[in-house]
Amino acid sequence: MLRFLLIFIGVLVTLFGLEMLNPVQNAVIQPFTGLLASLSTALILPFDQDVIAQGRVLRDATSGFAVSIESGCNGVEAAIVLIAGIAAFPATLNQKCVAIVAGFLFVQALNIVRIISLFYLGQWNYTVFEWFHLYLWPVLIMLDVLVVFAIYLHWLGKNAPAAEAT
Amino acid sequence: MLMRRQIVLTLALMPITFGLWYAAGPLFAAPAVWLCDIALGHLYPTLVDTAGLLGAELQLTTQFGESAGQILPAKEAGNQVALEINTRLVSYSIAFYGALLLASNVQDSLYKFCTGLFWLWLIMAIGLASIAGKDLLLLVGEPFLSTELVPPADVIALTYQFNVLLMPTLAPVFLWFWQLQGSPLWEQLAADISRASGRA
Repeated sequence: MLRFLLIFIGVLVTLFGLEMLNPVQNAVIQPFTGLLASLSTALILPFDQDVIAQGRVLRDATSGFAVSIESGCNGVEAAIVLIAGIAAFPATLNQKCVAIVAGFLFVQALNIVRIISLFYLGQWNYTVFEWFHLYLWPVLIMLDVLVVFAIYLHWLGKNAPAAEAT
Repeated sequence: MLMRRQIVLTLALMPITFGLWYAAGPLFAAPAVWLCDIALGHLYPTLVDTAGLLGAELQLTTQFGESAGQILPAKEAGNQVALEINTRLVSYSIAFYGALLLASNVQDSLYKFCTGLFWLWLIMAIGLASIAGKDLLLLVGEPFLSTELVPPADVIALTYQFNVLLMPTLAPVFLWFWQLQGSPLWEQLAADISRASGRA
C-alpha cells in the first residue's frame, strides 16, 4: 500500500509539473483542448446549427453565449490521476498501456458530455451552470475515474490466472 | 456488484449531502478558514493582516494598499487591499466525502466521518491558502513574490492547480478508501487486488 501511494504521488506530481510547462502547454495541452472544443461542436451540430468552435471557445451564434475550455476543464487532470493510479498498481506494461488508453477515452467521453451540458446549462440558467461547473461536474468526473480504476482492478483480477498459465 | 451499488448510492445521496452542505453555508468552511488565518498570519505576517469569514467567503485583509492604481505597503497607501475567496470552491469536498461514506456499509460511520472531516479541513485550509497565493500573485505581483518565504510563481501556479482543482475531489476518495477497511466492499476490492497482484 505504501509502495502504491509513493508511486502514485510521484507520478501525479511529475505529470502535473510536466503539464504546467509552457512547451507542453503549447505543443500538447492547448491543441488538445482545441480538439475537445471541435469535437464537442461536431457532436452538437447535427442537432443545433447555431454552435461554432473558435479555438478553445464554444459559442452560440444566436445568443452569443460562449464557454471557454480552460485548464481543469479539459479532463487532463482527471486523466493524470487515473494514469498515476494505473502506473502505481502492479501489472504488465501491456496491461497498463491498454488501461491508460481505454481509461483516457472513457474519461474524455464523459468530459465531452460535461462540456456540452455546461454549454446549454449556461444559456438556460447561470446559477445552475455555476453549480454544475464548480461543484458537481468535478465530483462526477472523479467518480468516473474511480469507476474506471475499479473496472481495471476487476479486469486484472480476471486476467491474472490466465497470465500465470502462459 | 458492490462497487456498482456504491456508485449508484453515492449518486443518489449527492443531492442530499450537497443540499445540506449548501444550506449550512459557512459552517463547514469555518474551521478551515480559522486554520488558514493562523497559518498565514504566522508564516506571512508582512503579507496578511487577518483572514475571516464573510458569509461563505473568506475575506483576507492584506498588508498592501492601493493608491492611484499602484500597489503599495498599506501604511503608505492609507488603505488595505482585501481579497474575497469563495470557500465553496474547496468545501464541496465535504459533501462529496459525505456521500461516499454514507453509501458504504462501514462501521462507526459517524466517528469515521468526524475523522475525515478533520483531515478535509486541513486540506481545505491549504487549498484556501493556495487560492490566496494565486490571487496575491495576480493582484500584487512583484512585491508579493519578493517577500520572504513566498515560493516562485511557477510553484504557486502548481500548488493552486493541485490543491484547488484536484484535491477537493481526490482527498475524499482517498479518505473514503482508507476508512473502507473491514467493509464488504473492501473485502471484494482486496480480493481483486490480491488476484491482480498474482498472490491469489
